[in-house]
Amino acid sequence: MTAATPNAATVTRSEVEDFLFLESALLDEWRLEEWVELFTLDCTYEAPATDAPASDPGQTWSLIHDRRTMLEQRVIRLKKPEAHAEFPHSQTSRIVGNVRILDRGPDAVSVSASFLVSRMKAGKFDQYAGHYYYALVPGADGFKIRRKKAVLAHDRLAPQGKISFVL
Amino acid sequence: MPDPLVIDNRKDSLFQVDREVFTSQEVFERERELLFGPSWLYVGHESELPERNDFRTRDVGGRSIIFNRDRRGEVRVLLNTCLHRGASVCRHPAGKAKIFTCFYHGWAYRNSGELVNVPSAEDYAASPADVYGGLHTPRIESYRGFWFVNFSGDAPDLRSWLGTATYLLDLAVDQSEDGIEVLTGTHNYELHANWKLLVENSVDGYHAKSVHHTYFEMMMELGQTPPMLGDADTNGVPPAGLGTEFDNGHATLIYPGNGLPLANENVVRNLAELREKAVQRCGESYATAVFDLARNSIFFPNFVLIDLNFGMILRTIMPVAPDRTEVTSWHIAPRGLDGESLQYRIDNALTFWGPAGLATPDDVEALEQAQRGFTARNEVRWSDISKGLGKARPAANDELQMRAWWRQWNALMTGERLPREVDEFVPFDTRTPQGA
Repeated sequence: MTAATPNAATVTRSEVEDFLFLESALLDEWRLEEWVELFTLDCTYEAPATDAPASDPGQTWSLIHDRRTMLEQRVIRLKKPEAHAEFPHSQTSRIVGNVRILDRGPDAVSVSASFLVSRMKAGKFDQYAGHYYYALVPGADGFKIRRKKAVLAHDRLAPQGKISFVL
Repeated sequence: MPDPLVIDNRKDSLFQVDREVFTSQEVFERERELLFGPSWLYVGHESELPERNDFRTRDVGGRSIIFNRDRRGEVRVLLNTCLHRGASVCRHPAGKAKIFTCFYHGWAYRNSGELVNVPSAEDYAASPADVYGGLHTPRIESYRGFWFVNFSGDAPDLRSWLGTATYLLDLAVDQSEDGIEVLTGTHNYELHANWKLLVENSVDGYHAKSVHHTYFEMMMELGQTPPMLGDADTNGVPPAGLGTEFDNGHATLIYPGNGLPLANENVVRNLAELREKAVQRCGESYATAVFDLARNSIFFPNFVLIDLNFGMILRTIMPVAPDRTEVTSWHIAPRGLDGESLQYRIDNALTFWGPAGLATPDDVEALEQAQRGFTARNEVRWSDISKGLGKARPAANDELQMRAWWRQWNALMTGERLPREVDEFVPFDTRTPQGA
């Protein structure tokens, strides 16, 4: 292994931060085709229900439980003008902070972060707050996301109503 | 209020609703009394309270309530307001409690309702417990595990109120001999539109192609055959599906079941086994109705069951203001399903439903845009709900089911009773032993 290749044992927080900031930029700029390529083929993208934030989205009625195929379809759909809830696209601005490396596995690091996403659409301004949990796999080309879980710090989706963009 | 609010013109097959009813504060307040008062309102399912002393707090029909199982195991609904000065006696969404204590002055109630402790009770000449008894407990009744509340004293019993529409609940419960359960996790979201727009949308087969175009494209790309392309009837239901209505404003649209998107062999086998067991219990015709047909049903006024048999949604639609609505949605599944089949059901349902699904946000967008459009009510007064009026057997993408609902709405709000359009249609030969 060369010194330039990151691995789970030597990953630094600033490397993780740089990656999460890149991901945020891709989402805010609606560069969703590039964003989905950040994920591994065996990835999951999850959001638990607001009243069961600690539950497994695989076995409960969550908000989002996408594997790679559905994640790609979500992106394809969102780029079509017939995705009515998101045309024209919302403007979003997201702050990702409080980044922590929680655990270093053999090939991946567990990361948590806080998020605040501000969204403007058709004269309506909403904010979404919560915590991200990631499993990031370091490699020669940077990180890949094996798991992204967005846990909302909301007791219900009001007044936001919907998560029609990518959180 | 203007008169009339609903025009049911059979001569010209026109059905129209005054857009005032979607924006008016006066109509909103009258609905709370005249509709949500005397109607049976869905509260929750028995599986949400598996043990004694379990509770869940909810807002039902504009009232804050505690849905609980008391210390003796009895299911109850308690109005969540202290008899002393009105504060909530329970502020948690769910949990376990034998006693509910109002934090304002400390009055405490047993989970069966009785007032059991008043701090400094000796200062009262008349004992508050003797004067006030306990937390108000409205009338509740259940049908096969679905609990409903009624805030009026003189309503018919639940079974009579539901009438033939009970079979829509039977078809969901009878997927498994062990019945169904509500899964952990709730979709709880708000729309900025009048609640009746979501009632209409929940049983609207007409909007599917235009609003959910991207969803159907996606499913076809993933190899699913779209429904309604066959040519044979299923238990009397044609490929185009049909709408039907029942007494008291309940209605449904019935259509051929979707294919099984993304199902693997285990899931297919699991469903086939469930179906075979249903055949043994209830007969081939009934099992076909359960497993080969799908339904979107509205139980007047605001309880929705969407039964795609491999993914089933319960939904309540609560008005908050004329232009704000709170939606709560649960997923139900046959009890005892293996983890893989359960995950398949959840994932399939999630691709469509819910505030982060790939379809529901577009429905919400349509309703919010309609609400915006109602600002021109002075110039454009009527909404049209005429599609299929005059047909002997309206299809799933006609609007009979909405008209049935609106006629009940009209009867309760204005006293004017409009005759129904078609006879009830039940798509199987013999009733299930449980449901009969």
